[in-house]
Amino acid sequence: MTERIPRPNPIDARPWTFYALAMLFLFYMLFLYGPMLVIYTLSFQGPNGGVTFPLTGVSFEWFRDVWRPGQMANIPVAFSRSLTLASAVCTITVVISLAGGLAFRRPFPGAGAVFYLVISSLVMPGLLVGFGIGLGFQFLGLQPDLFTSALGAQLTWTLPFGLLGMFAVVNRFNRTWEEAATDLGATPLQRLRHVTVPILLPGIFGVALSAFTLSYDEYARTTLTVGAHNTLPLEIYALISSATTPMLFALGTLTTAVSFLLIGITLVVVLQMQRRRREWASRS
Amino acid sequence: MQILPLTTILVLFFALPTALFLIVSFFDYDRTGIYPAFMLDSYREIFTSISTLRVYGSTLKFALIVWAITLFVGFNIAYFLIFHVRNAKIRIVFFLLCAIPFFTSAIIRTIAWIPFLGRSGAFNNMLISLQLTARPLDFLLYSDFSVVIAYVYLYTLLMIGPIANSLSKIDRSLIEAARDAGASRRQIMTHVIIPLSKTGIALGSILVVTQVMGDFFVVRQMSGGQSASIVSALSTEIQAMQYPPAAANAMVLVIIVATMVACLMRVVDVRKELVK
Amino acid sequence: MDPLYEVELAAVTKRYGSSIAVDSISLRVPKAGYCCLLGPSGCGKTSTLRMIAGHEGITEGDVLIDGRNVTDLPPSARGTAMMFQNYALFPHLNCLDNVAFGPRMRGERKVERHRRAREFLDLVQMSDYATRFPGQLSGGQQQRIALARALIMRPRVLLLDEPLSALDPFLRVRMREELKRLQRELKIAFVHVTHAQDEAMALADLMVVMDRGKICQIGAPVEVFERPTSAFVARFIGGHNVLPWKDKLIAVRTDQCVIDRPGAAPGLAGRVSTVEYQGPTIRVGLKTSAGLEAAVVLRDHVFKERPLSTGDEVILSWPEACAHRLAA
Repeated sequence: MTERIPRPNPIDARPWTFYALAMLFLFYMLFLYGPMLVIYTLSFQGPNGGVTFPLTGVSFEWFRDVWRPGQMANIPVAFSRSLTLASAVCTITVVISLAGGLAFRRPFPGAGAVFYLVISSLVMPGLLVGFGIGLGFQFLGLQPDLFTSALGAQLTWTLPFGLLGMFAVVNRFNRTWEEAATDLGATPLQRLRHVTVPILLPGIFGVALSAFTLSYDEYARTTLTVGAHNTLPLEIYALISSATTPMLFALGTLTTAVSFLLIGITLVVVLQMQRRRREWASRS
Repeated sequence: MQILPLTTILVLFFALPTALFLIVSFFDYDRTGIYPAFMLDSYREIFTSISTLRVYGSTLKFALIVWAITLFVGFNIAYFLIFHVRNAKIRIVFFLLCAIPFFTSAIIRTIAWIPFLGRSGAFNNMLISLQLTARPLDFLLYSDFSVVIAYVYLYTLLMIGPIANSLSKIDRSLIEAARDAGASRRQIMTHVIIPLSKTGIALGSILVVTQVMGDFFVVRQMSGGQSASIVSALSTEIQAMQYPPAAANAMVLVIIVATMVACLMRVVDVRKELVK
Repeated sequence: MDPLYEVELAAVTKRYGSSIAVDSISLRVPKAGYCCLLGPSGCGKTSTLRMIAGHEGITEGDVLIDGRNVTDLPPSARGTAMMFQNYALFPHLNCLDNVAFGPRMRGERKVERHRRAREFLDLVQMSDYATRFPGQLSGGQQQRIALARALIMRPRVLLLDEPLSALDPFLRVRMREELKRLQRELKIAFVHVTHAQDEAMALADLMVVMDRGKICQIGAPVEVFERPTSAFVARFIGGHNVLPWKDKLIAVRTDQCVIDRPGAAPGLAGRVSTVEYQGPTIRVGLKTSAGLEAAVVLRDHVFKERPLSTGDEVILSWPEACAHRLAA
C-alpha cells in the first residue's frame, strides 16, 4: 500500500501575485509612515535645531512651544476653535446627511438634480467655494465669521461625503423592519427613534467621525471665509509662511496622538455595538 | 421633506456663490475696486497670456501623472486587501493603517517630506549609508518629483476607498464561474474584475483629479516656487483684490473640471451604483 | 348585529400602473377560521395579504374586519398583526424587547409590558431566550419570537406571509402543528399565504387557490382536492392527472388510477417513462401515445406483485366513479 504524502491543497496555495502585492503593500506602509516617523523624531529636536536633520539634541522644547501663544500664532486658541467648529459641522452633517440618505431610498422628483448638486459641491476646488462665499458676504456687507461663512463653506465639503457615506449605511437597512414597526403601532417618529436610528448607529458613528476629521483638517475652504480668527490648519499655514520651526512637528505629533485617541474611542464604541448584535446582518 | 436642508445649504453656500463669481468675472476693475459691467476682458487675458496657459498645462500634467500613479497603486492595494487578505480582522487593521495618517493635517504631512527628501534629509542619508549613491540626490526635493510624491502621498487613499468598496461588492461566485470556464488570472482581471469595479475607479479618479486641480498649497511648498498651480495663481489675484480676473480664472477652472467629471460620469453611471 | 365573518374582501383590486396584480376578488373568512391563500408566485396572494394588513394601498374595493370597513385605516388601527416572511425581528433588541415593542409604542409601562411579553414568550415556548438577540437564534426560533411579537397585540386576525418557506422540511412539519395548535387555542382568524399545497391542505379550514390575480376556487381542502373545478387547480393541487376523455376534460387522482397490460381495460395507451421509489408508495410516470404526461401512485405491495420498468407498454385506466369532470 502506497504512503500518501500530505500535500497542501493547490486551491489554498498563494499565487505569486500575492507576494508581489504584499510587497507593494509593505512598501506603501513604509511610504505612508516614513515621513510620519520623521515628524515624530524631529519633534524632539534640540532647542537650537532646525527643521531638517541632524538632531542637535533631544528635548521637549518644541512641545512646550506649542502651548505658548506666540506673536505669529496662538495654537491652543486655534485648536479649541477647530474643535468647536468641527463638532458643529459634524453634528449638522450627520443629521442632514442621514435625512438625505433616507430620502434617496425612494425616487422623488428632482432626485437627479440634487445628486448632481452634491457631486458638484464635492469636486469644486475648495478655495473657489471660499472665494464665492467671501465675495457674497462682502457684497452683502457682512463680515465673514467662524460660525456663519466658515461653517457653511465646510458643510459644502462634508455634506457630500456624509451623504455618500450614508448611502452605504442605509443600503444595508432592511425595509421590513420599518414595516414591522408600523404594524406594531409605531408612529413615524417612534419608528425613527426606536428602529431606524438604533440599527444604523454604528454606520452613523463612522460618518460622524469622518465628518469631524474633514472639518478639523480643512483649510482650502476655510481660509477665505473664517474672518479674523484662524482655525488650527490656518494657524499652521501662517506659521509655515513665516517661520518653520520644529514646533510644527511637535504639533503634528500631538495631533496624530489626538487622532489615534479619537479613532480608538470610536472603534471601541462601534465594536461594542457590533458585538451585542452578533452578525445579525447575515442572519435576518 | 427630508432632502430640503441638504438642498438649501448646498444651494446657499455652493450654487449661489458659484453663480456670484460667474457674474463677477464679467466685471470691470482697477486698482481701487470693481465695477459691475459685462466685459470679456478678464477672459481674453486668460486665453492670450502665455503664462496662464503654461500654468494650466503644468497643473493638468500633474493631474494626469498623479492620477496614473494613484490608480495603479490604489487599485493594487485595494485588490490586495479585498481579495488576498483572508482574515477579516487583519483586513480591518490594514484598512485602518491606510486611513490613520489621514487624520493628521495634510499641511503637516506635506511639509514632513521636506526634511525627508532634502539634501541632508533622511532619505539621502539612508542612501549614502547604504552606499547606493556617493552624493546626495538633488532632484528629490523642490522639483516636479517632490510635488508628485506629495500628491500621491496625500491622495492615494481617495483611490483605495472607492475601489475597495466596488471590489467588495463583486459576487465571488462570478470569479469562480470564470475560473471554471477556463479563464486565466489575467483574463479574469480584464474581463470580470476591472469591468465590475468601474464605478470605484471612476469615483476615485474624480476625487484625485479634482483635488490636484484645486490644490494651491502642495505645489507651492514642494516645488520651491518653481511651479505654480492654477488655484495658487488665483489666490494671488484674490490677495491683490483683483476679483474679476480671479473670478474668470475660477470659471475657466470650474468648466475644465466639470467637463472632466462629466466625461468620467458618462463612462460610468456613478449615481446608480452609489444609491443602489 | 354580530358579523359572521372576521375578514371580508369585497371586489378588491390592486393595480400597479397598467398591470393588475389582484383582480376584483371577494372573500369571506369565518370567525376563528384558518384561511390559506395558495397559488404560484406572482398570483397576487401576497399583495392580497398586504392589502388586508394595510401595508399596501387598495385600488378598488373594500376590506372589512369584524364588520368594520377598514379600507382607509392604517395598519395599527385594523386589528390585524403581520408575521413577515423574513421575520423582521429588530436586531438591536433582545427577544423580550422585541416582543414588548408593540406595547411600548402604545405607552405601556416597562414592568407591565415585560410581564405580558414573558407571557407570550411562554406561549411560544421561548421563555429561556428572553435575553438573547435575534442574531443568535435559529430560523425556527426566530419565527416563534416573530409570532409572539405579533400575538401580543391581541389581533383579531393574524396575517402570515409564507412563514414556513425558510425552514427545513422537518422543522416545517413541526411548526405547522404549532401554528394549528395556537390558532385553535387563541380562537382568532389566521390568513396564511403559501405556495406549498401540502401546507395549505394540512392547515386550512378554508383554502383559496389563486392564479394571476383571480380566485380559481374556494373551499375546504377536502372539497378542493376531491372536486377541483379547473385544470389549473387540479394540476396545482397535485396528485391529479388531467386527461382528455370522450370529448371532455377530466381529473383523476393519481392514487386512484390503475396500470394494466395493453388491452386489459378501457383507458389511454402509453409507455412508462419513470419509476420513482417513494417509500410506502411508488410513483410511475408515463407518457401517453398522444404525448400527454401522467402519473400513477401505487402501493408498494401492489407494485411488487406486478413490477414495471421504463419503456413498458401499458394502459392507464381508472374507475368510472373516480373521474371528475373539469369545467375548463
